[in-house]
Amino acid sequence: MFAQVLLSGIANGCVYGLVALSFVLVFKATETVSFMQGELLMVGAFAAVLLVEGAGWPVLLALPVAVLALFALGALLEAVVLRRALGRPHLTAVLLTFGLGLALRGGVTMVPAATHQLHRLDLPLPGVIAIGPLQVAGAHLAVLVATGLACAALAAFFRFTRAGVALRACSEDPRVAALMGISPSRMHTLAWALGAALAGVAGVLLAPLTLVHPGMGLIALKAFPAAVIGGLSSLPGAIAGGVLVGVIEALSGLYLPEGAKELAVYGLMLLVLLMFPQGLGGRGATR
Amino acid sequence: MRRLLTVFIALAALFAGPAPAATPGVTDDSIRIATIQDLSGPIAILGAPIRDGIVMRLDEENERGGVHGRKLRIAVEDSGYDPKKAILAARRLLGDGQVFAFLGNLGTPVVMATMPLIVEAGLPHLFPFSPHLATYAPTHPLKFQLFAPYRDYMDAAVRHLVGQNGYRRVGLLYQDDDYGLEVMRGVESGLAKRGLALVERTGYKRGTTDFASQIARLRAADCDLVVLATVVRETVAAAQEARKVGWPVDMLVTASGYSAQTHELGGAAVEGLYGVSVMPHPYPEGADGALNDWIQRYRTRYDADPNVWSAMGYDVADTFIQGLRAAGRDLDVAGFARAMASLNTTPGFLGGPTYHFSPEDHLGNRRGRMARIVSGRWQLVSDYLE
Amino acid sequence: MRRVGIALALFALALSGGGWSHGLAQLAMVATWALAGLGLVLIVGQTGQLSLGHGAMMAVGAYVQACLVSIGMPSPLALLPAMAAGGLLGLLASLPGRRLGGLAFGMSTLAMALIVEELLVRLVPWTGGAAGRVVPPFVIGPWTLGSPGGQAALSVAMLVLAWLVCRRLIHSRLGRAWRASREDESAAAAIGVSAGAVRQQAFAAGGVLGALAGALSAHWLGYLSPEQFGIGLSFELLMMVFVGGVRAPAGAVLGGLVMVALPQLIATLRGAVPALGSGAAGLELLLFGAVLVLIVLARPAGLAGGGR
Repeated sequence: MFAQVLLSGIANGCVYGLVALSFVLVFKATETVSFMQGELLMVGAFAAVLLVEGAGWPVLLALPVAVLALFALGALLEAVVLRRALGRPHLTAVLLTFGLGLALRGGVTMVPAATHQLHRLDLPLPGVIAIGPLQVAGAHLAVLVATGLACAALAAFFRFTRAGVALRACSEDPRVAALMGISPSRMHTLAWALGAALAGVAGVLLAPLTLVHPGMGLIALKAFPAAVIGGLSSLPGAIAGGVLVGVIEALSGLYLPEGAKELAVYGLMLLVLLMFPQGLGGRGATR
Repeated sequence: MRRLLTVFIALAALFAGPAPAATPGVTDDSIRIATIQDLSGPIAILGAPIRDGIVMRLDEENERGGVHGRKLRIAVEDSGYDPKKAILAARRLLGDGQVFAFLGNLGTPVVMATMPLIVEAGLPHLFPFSPHLATYAPTHPLKFQLFAPYRDYMDAAVRHLVGQNGYRRVGLLYQDDDYGLEVMRGVESGLAKRGLALVERTGYKRGTTDFASQIARLRAADCDLVVLATVVRETVAAAQEARKVGWPVDMLVTASGYSAQTHELGGAAVEGLYGVSVMPHPYPEGADGALNDWIQRYRTRYDADPNVWSAMGYDVADTFIQGLRAAGRDLDVAGFARAMASLNTTPGFLGGPTYHFSPEDHLGNRRGRMARIVSGRWQLVSDYLE
Repeated sequence: MRRVGIALALFALALSGGGWSHGLAQLAMVATWALAGLGLVLIVGQTGQLSLGHGAMMAVGAYVQACLVSIGMPSPLALLPAMAAGGLLGLLASLPGRRLGGLAFGMSTLAMALIVEELLVRLVPWTGGAAGRVVPPFVIGPWTLGSPGGQAALSVAMLVLAWLVCRRLIHSRLGRAWRASREDESAAAAIGVSAGAVRQQAFAAGGVLGALAGALSAHWLGYLSPEQFGIGLSFELLMMVFVGGVRAPAGAVLGGLVMVALPQLIATLRGAVPALGSGAAGLELLLFGAVLVLIVLARPAGLAGGGR
């Protein structure tokens, strides 16, 4: 029973981690905590539902297109709104993401079909797989695999591609990067677009677990402590933070009295902030 | 000085609004009522079909000429489940002086914040979607309710199931809010009457995605029946988790999980799930004449299938119309309240319960029926339970 | 002058559309929002410190008030311990500010707010838990403030008082120290102004104001439940003061006006254009989002502008 719950906590933690990853990606490149990642996740899931239910596309085609659409949405929001926050106090961008998040949620709520029923996104996944004595849901397995793939892809991107190296250089020191011929504004666009796309990935992966509805972005409230615990600027830290939050939640739900489950996560976040202001794995958000 | 006076008069006109009619909201050829729904908040998934059901029933009545020659109009306000917004909406509607009654307001925080204003203003507060006792007890001349607290339904349902299937170890998974607490009280009192107590209880917060730890806890307590105080999404998730870990325990969900979406989304995992039904789900397959007609009309109008919440909205409006008919052509609040307080409704084609009101008891119905998901759809498996 | 114009236009809009009692209820709401906003003006505007947990201060004020009144304490008297509790929570929330700054400290206030919300669910004997609790009307001597008129009068009176106190604070030595630490933490430290102490003072003062607003709104709503004080409220408050203008007390009032005027505008629109019908549900969120974005971009100092 312990192992089963632990496994569930890890899988669930991976979803938190994936959303946390999108927080971190944006934070690294722009020094902004984005309060619209949860909404982007929700929009991504709805985009996939729209393509499958509305346009009748096969799921395997709809998923990448939905993620691409989110990439484009991120770029668009950056070009129209977020770019203007460059050079302003960090609070400006935070408020902008908050406003954009509200507007996104309002926009989805205005569509009657989105609010009148829950939607299901049927990924072609096996129902339950037995690994020894453990039972793993196909959707959980997909999350584990996808999280691994996303991490690997991001690592490769930052290491081996020109754009990735440029993005990294930019987040290290924008002035020097600019002197080296890297356009900081294009990197800014890229970071927001990638952050949105990653939230979209999390959205379609979350869909089989929680169903698609306008409130599914609330998961960002769990992903957020995960990102903070991981240090806000470390990609592996985000995943580790997510898994830690998932496991703590699951185990405290099993062994501790009622209510401890919710308190444990935020208590831990507070504790980490106080003892390791840089987070457990990074340079931190002390600025 | 003169200019100041003009400004003052303009302002006064702005505030004063039109002069109130003799009975608020009632004219020779119309009656205006209001409803405060959640159309954008966490339970918009209920609010939208409730509104559609209410509006559809009122319009039908208008096509037949209205009640005693008066057409029915309704103002729909969106609270987003926020009592602050609900209060302002209620004050706005009350301030107009052009509302006869409030019908089917949705959500306990909204209802608890606005009900005192409404009855203080002397307007009937009818059939809110809230399980709170205060909506009908202690008896108030202007408060009427159709839906019993979950407590009553669950007490009867648990007693019935335990008696029928001989469960010994009953556990509870509940949403951590007023809804979950209501259910817990009902389950506890039902079990007590059978000489049992809950062997395990475990809660979750709205928005929870993973039920592994809760299900593990219930399983560790070796439950043979798990009562679910959940809504659709969590019902599906909890059942799936239990089946995933290979635990074939029987489950019973409250009326909040009794929805066609439960088996549409839950598939095989929810097969055999027991549920409490107050109003049967309007399935198009096998629907007879009047019901089938209604489903077709609803589909044409809203481009969506009706669900159990649309049926409840429709029923709420229908009961209101029956009350208006009984009150007669000379309509005022006191007369309407008197008529309501002795109303006995006739059974409708939707298959819901009949409602009986008396001057001492303003709760129209206390009983629900047992249902079970068999071959991917809800089947009623008992009569109304005492 | 333009500020006054904006204020008057918003004022007319906020209070229009439904007779006296509705207008007064709106006024009470504006004043209560503005009171809570004043607290944020002190914390966020003066010290430059992000607080994501102001809703928790309102929650503490509301629940303490409700508990004390229900055991028979006169409502005006109960306001004092309620405000003290808010100040205490503010102090508590500012403790991480001794070690942390900026965003990290902001997050710790978020964690604090989430923990308070959870405690409201757990401390059943006092809070009524998830089922919530009923709050009796505000009583001053022989008068029961059950009507919007009395509620508006009391809220506005409290707002005026709080405004005067805030102005004094802002113009005092304390206010100068707060702003010094906002502009340059290390320079401020060099002249003996410690950022940690500054945060503590501002959070305590802000907590008192937040709790006062919470205590009043508890009476106006008549029913408290934990979900009303979720982090959504904290974000709403933050949004409000940034729209209004976070650097000046007037910003809190303008923000409060916007919070009430915008839904009123939509209600009026919906009355005029029935075709808007069901889509209007999301329209409010959409508009709030758009207004926030526009103001942050076009008028970074908020509607009130300027300020210190």
